[in-house]
Amino acid sequence: MMAIATIDRPGLQTTIQDAGRRGARHLGVPQSGAADRVCLAFANAAVGNRWDAPALECTMTGPALSFEMDIGFALSGADMGALLNDEPVGRYQTISARPGDRLALGAAQAGARAYIAFAGGMAGFAFFDSVSTYMPAGLGGLEGRALRTGDTIGSRKATMMAPVDIPDTLRPHFGHDWILRATEGPDTESFNPKTVRHFFSAPFKAGRRGDRMGLRLIGAEMISEDARAMKSSAVFPGTVQCPPDGAPILLGPDAQTVGGYRRIAQVIDADLPLIGQIRPGDRIWFRRIKAQTARQTTLQRQILIASFVSDFSLR
Amino acid sequence: MNAPTIKPFGECGFIAQIEGFSSDVDSGLFANAVARALRSNDGVDDAVAGIDSVAMRFDPAHLGVDDAREMLLDATNNTPRNTARAKSKTIDIPICYGGEYGPDFDALCTQLKITADALIKLHSTAPYRVITLGFAPGFVYLGELPEDLTAPRLKTPRLRVEAGSVGIAGHYTGVYSLPSPGGWRIIGRTPLALFDGRETHPFIFEPGDEVRFNAITPEAFGAIRRAQK
Repeated sequence: MMAIATIDRPGLQTTIQDAGRRGARHLGVPQSGAADRVCLAFANAAVGNRWDAPALECTMTGPALSFEMDIGFALSGADMGALLNDEPVGRYQTISARPGDRLALGAAQAGARAYIAFAGGMAGFAFFDSVSTYMPAGLGGLEGRALRTGDTIGSRKATMMAPVDIPDTLRPHFGHDWILRATEGPDTESFNPKTVRHFFSAPFKAGRRGDRMGLRLIGAEMISEDARAMKSSAVFPGTVQCPPDGAPILLGPDAQTVGGYRRIAQVIDADLPLIGQIRPGDRIWFRRIKAQTARQTTLQRQILIASFVSDFSLR
Repeated sequence: MNAPTIKPFGECGFIAQIEGFSSDVDSGLFANAVARALRSNDGVDDAVAGIDSVAMRFDPAHLGVDDAREMLLDATNNTPRNTARAKSKTIDIPICYGGEYGPDFDALCTQLKITADALIKLHSTAPYRVITLGFAPGFVYLGELPEDLTAPRLKTPRLRVEAGSVGIAGHYTGVYSLPSPGGWRIIGRTPLALFDGRETHPFIFEPGDEVRFNAITPEAFGAIRRAQK
């Protein structure tokens, strides 16, 4: 394994992520993978990787690292004011680094996650065909954990393609207000219609304690009219579940596979990548749409992105 | 005949609610049999059993919406409802109760007003069935717990429960195959490695397995640990 770089400062939570692991939820294994898979795809495509190659996911504040080899890299997602040898560098383009070069990311002002893709991809512990890091159980990535000072990240040397120029119009720009389109959940009927209308019209604030498993939503209380205990039943990334205290939880890529709280909504696949960019304190609105409209919306978004990034999938 | 209630779950998913079973073991194992049947079909991305439900997500590029719904309905209607009677294998789990391995053991004895020996005897006498895997990787729900041992979850879940921990919540007992956050009352831990990431079947438990707990001393815990290294 060739060393790409050594970590000088790990950032708040920097992990190796790819598109995640599929089809293992029946074993309790979450999907994981990039919290913003569109930005993962853009960073990879910009450096000539397959869209789903493993890359670094940086959270809120990015890392500083020293390169150990000649290699191209590309940045995407939240602007963390990246500097290469103290000079500002752009995102969504291949940048060449030489041994000894120092890349430093700072804090994002808007959006929560940035991606750093390296030409050829990254090495990591594979489990169910994915090297995505799932920290709670220590699976994937580098020893299943976030990077630490002194860690070495390794290259994978996968097949390369021509780097893709990501057009300006496709590059996301993040603010502090988010609209997430969602279909009704399997338990929406167990809530008072007034509560449901409120859910789909009033803003929520993202709570302080958010992680890749889920975000707490602060706002009007969402309490089901059905007080009976619910038996454990499936949840997915994008499920909004309502614990008895009334503060909903919006589940992220590391969502557990089953839960015991009523599910009021399911964010559509096209908008799942946005969840990965929500910061504590940001405002969130849920817009109710029908399942058929959701399928069309997701399909159109996927076709658009795949016309630049081969084989890209939102699922 | 209990026709299942089928509802949409997201833009490419359905969930079947299962009714008419007398126990969680029976309904959970039925749900797992339905989910297993679904997973063998093309276009099914995930089929996840709950205690009394089966959720399915499909790939719309390979499966039409109506076909997907029909597939879930058929699997639910055509799966034999007595699957719980077919036992797969028996797994003996050595467990060290209390002390550092069971941080909630003493409090549970106090709460249930029983002695340590009585709790151990109650928990380790009955054989359990693996009802389902879920929540965390390789976490198993075992049922059903003797009536005298039922206890609610902790009010505040732990941020980390160690691999091998055995807990109690409601009328289930459960085993954490890997470290996880969790709210079950932890009464002991097994020294057995329950996970092997290099294997196709990384966890030792499967739905339907019979599980028996055998109480061991901390010394035996250490010895088994060392022998596995």
